[in-house]
Amino acid sequence: MSDHQHNEQFLQELYDQFGKDIDEEIIIDVVEHMKNCPDCKIYVDSVKQIVKIYRVNESEQTVPDDVSERLFKTLRIKRTQA
Amino acid sequence: MTNLTYNEAHLVKKAKAGEQWAIAALVENHSSKVYNLALRLMQNQEDAEDVLQETFLVFMDKIHSFKGNASIGTWLYRIGTNVALGKLRVKDYIDRDISIHDPGFESLKGYEIRNWPDHPENELDPESFNECLKKALQTLSEDYRFVFVLRDLEGLSTKETAKLLKITESNVKVRLMRARLFLRDQLAKKLKCVERREYE
Repeated sequence: MSDHQHNEQFLQELYDQFGKDIDEEIIIDVVEHMKNCPDCKIYVDSVKQIVKIYRVNESEQTVPDDVSERLFKTLRIKRTQA
Repeated sequence: MTNLTYNEAHLVKKAKAGEQWAIAALVENHSSKVYNLALRLMQNQEDAEDVLQETFLVFMDKIHSFKGNASIGTWLYRIGTNVALGKLRVKDYIDRDISIHDPGFESLKGYEIRNWPDHPENELDPESFNECLKKALQTLSEDYRFVFVLRDLEGLSTKETAKLLKITESNVKVRLMRARLFLRDQLAKKLKCVERREYE
């Protein structure tokens, strides 16, 4: 990935995090700073990674049958499917 | 209009007219989404089941007045979040403005992350890794957890999250960043990739 593409991606992420009202000059400063600061790079990379990890690990669960049964019983309606 | 949305619109129309089969079909169609939201917000199955039941009791009580400005799924999302909020009695927390400068949150105060691995999931056995993630999310206080769940796990926008939780968009951003840092730091501690700052 070229530097230009990388910056575009990073800018988009910044917009997503802070909203599009963020000052463009601040973004340019942040991008420049990130290039030369390993501490900030670890900070940003690790935070991004933790979100990805949780998304992968938080898979959708189906409603257990007994929970579903109790739900319909509480609502006093008949299920449309077994 | 797709078949799915046509069917949903048809079901809503019939449900509003009090047709039990249509109400049952809507409950079937949306119970999984509500249950997963409740599990993530409440972090235990018993409370999640309570939220699921209360959400659909409210749904049945209010369906006749549903205006259709949002989808039924979005409407159930709002109800589910509000039921969960009420259950946790976090109204005071939710109404509270949180500043980025609030003290006492930095879980790794005085420490820095060093040697963060490229693939943290490979540093522990799967069971320990998942347990660590679960425990961290359970430990995270509700006012931060709700924002993290709605924004990062459920994919709601900052604006939608702010509206649901009745807080400002700025506060959503502050809470989200703090939640992410807290969760990251819990994992960092487990992976032993933290070091005391030299100047502390």
